[in-house]
Amino acid sequence: MARQALNAYSILIYIFLLLPIGVVVGASLNAGEFLTFPPQGLSLRWYVAFLNNEVFMRAIRTSLWIAAVSMVVSGIVGTMAAVYYVHYAARWKEHMRIAMLSPLLLPEVLTAISLLFFVYAIGIGTTTMFGLLVGHVLITLPFVFMNVTSSLEGYDPDWSTAAQSLGAGRWTRFRRITLPLIKPGVFSGCLFAFVISFDVFTISFMLKSIGSSTLPIQLFDYLKSNYTPEAAAVSTVSIVVTILVVVISEKVLGLRIHRF
Amino acid sequence: MTKVSITKLTKNYGPGIRAVDSISLDIPSGEFVSLLGPSGCGKTTTLKMLAGFESVTSGGIAFDGQDVVSVPPEKRDIGMVFQNYALFPHMTVRGNLAFGLEMRKVPKADMDRRIQATLDLVQLTPYADRYPRQLSGGQQQRVAIGRALVIEPRILLLDEPLANLDAKLREEMRVFIRDLQRRVGITTVYVTHDQAEAMTMSDRVVVMFGGKIAQQGRPGDIYDYPVSRAVAGFVGQVNLIDGKIVGVDSGIARVDTPFGPAEVKAGHRTEGDPVTLVLRPEAIDILPADAAGGVTASVVASYFSGAILDYTLALQDGQTVDVKTIARQRFEPGAQVRLAVDAHRFWPLEVG
Repeated sequence: MARQALNAYSILIYIFLLLPIGVVVGASLNAGEFLTFPPQGLSLRWYVAFLNNEVFMRAIRTSLWIAAVSMVVSGIVGTMAAVYYVHYAARWKEHMRIAMLSPLLLPEVLTAISLLFFVYAIGIGTTTMFGLLVGHVLITLPFVFMNVTSSLEGYDPDWSTAAQSLGAGRWTRFRRITLPLIKPGVFSGCLFAFVISFDVFTISFMLKSIGSSTLPIQLFDYLKSNYTPEAAAVSTVSIVVTILVVVISEKVLGLRIHRF
Repeated sequence: MTKVSITKLTKNYGPGIRAVDSISLDIPSGEFVSLLGPSGCGKTTTLKMLAGFESVTSGGIAFDGQDVVSVPPEKRDIGMVFQNYALFPHMTVRGNLAFGLEMRKVPKADMDRRIQATLDLVQLTPYADRYPRQLSGGQQQRVAIGRALVIEPRILLLDEPLANLDAKLREEMRVFIRDLQRRVGITTVYVTHDQAEAMTMSDRVVVMFGGKIAQQGRPGDIYDYPVSRAVAGFVGQVNLIDGKIVGVDSGIARVDTPFGPAEVKAGHRTEGDPVTLVLRPEAIDILPADAAGGVTASVVASYFSGAILDYTLALQDGQTVDVKTIARQRFEPGAQVRLAVDAHRFWPLEVG
């Protein structure tokens, strides 16, 4: 009885979470002129409009590029930070953890504004995409750090020591022993980084340079003056990209988790 | 074949915390040496300094006369076996064995041959393609030893390798490791807190207390001729008997004991000096109450463990002694017996 109630409750939560996505996808298939749900007739015309809209296409390319760069930079920096944190940090360990996670704890808009001041103060400004990339790395770094840290907790330092006794130098030990064993953590951290970067609005809004609108920014601009189902089509594509990234990378890169 | 020389080796962890205190030790090529002592005695720190994983505060370590203190672990050419085996969990047995050879850039054909030879040596050929998690504790242990030996290191270092195995397997592995070491002929340093392990396996036992070497020698000598109470107590059960020297004659001192007169080497001692004598429990014979000779005692408790019977007995003056006998003849608690000891089975401690 209690179990059935729990099941029903879980299903309700899922519906609550997924319904808006269903509405967006449904609205994108609208044949009419306006963003309504349920759709007035079914058509793919707004997808065609989206694919022919150079502004949106440029935005999606920008988003993918920034997400990829953020993922790689956060992946490397975050993994290095996690290795240091777990195996080397001694006295300042707790401080380091809080500092690493602070982008998650602070309101994003605060981080964004202070970064904006910062990039102007040091003379980088927002004429290039550099500031935007720094912001994305900052906001995605905690996800890599957390994931890698948790997979390192199960890592026995004697594995590295054994490799060293067998003649492996520092880099070889990391590449041949540590990295393969913490791969699941690095992998899911990178995945998070990509998806978060692809999604983030506030940071991009503050730090974007001319002509470097990301997809969420472009969508926001569009909705300020238009109310067509094209917005829903854009959102649907964005959702599909996110899901594809997760699914494809799992299948192709092979998330073979070792259990010990 | 490598000779190891340790000279005044010292390790401080911060001011006032001295883990290893100026120890000197020469290990001839091919010898099996055990560092034996309780936890915190510095034996593991010494091993880690030999391997290079622990920096040296002062003193020297030389392999074949060549100083290695500043050589990093990965260049020392050592084989190390860890207490928890530390097998690479993402590699098969073959992969684990291959790792050290890959680091040495051994050609493929040569590598395959050496891996096969080592698999045969540690009797793991049928398990070559298994992952460590698919092996039993004893098999994992043999992989760890194989992985250390396949690189043909200058010295083999083992850090309490049998501590995680159950009693029966531990005894099998003792014989296995000792036999393997003899066949390969590699200079070996073995760290343990288990005196039986050190005794059965080693050519030489080095007993350590508080960062210092308390005594070193062949297992039998350490057992029969301990220098101190601590060594005597650590390498097996012991009865310590306090007495006074009643006479010295041509280097032999006579001591009165509850078991009658004892004859021990006098050394620097003279008549009237107090002396503590070591008497191993198996040096005492238990005789029936009606036997001739010996002193009267009563059985307080007996502990039967198969082949061996351990007794606690009370002498007439109330002093208790431990006696170990083969379990052929049994006496119940409360029984009166006679205890006989040969006058030459006592050994005087150098220090109290």
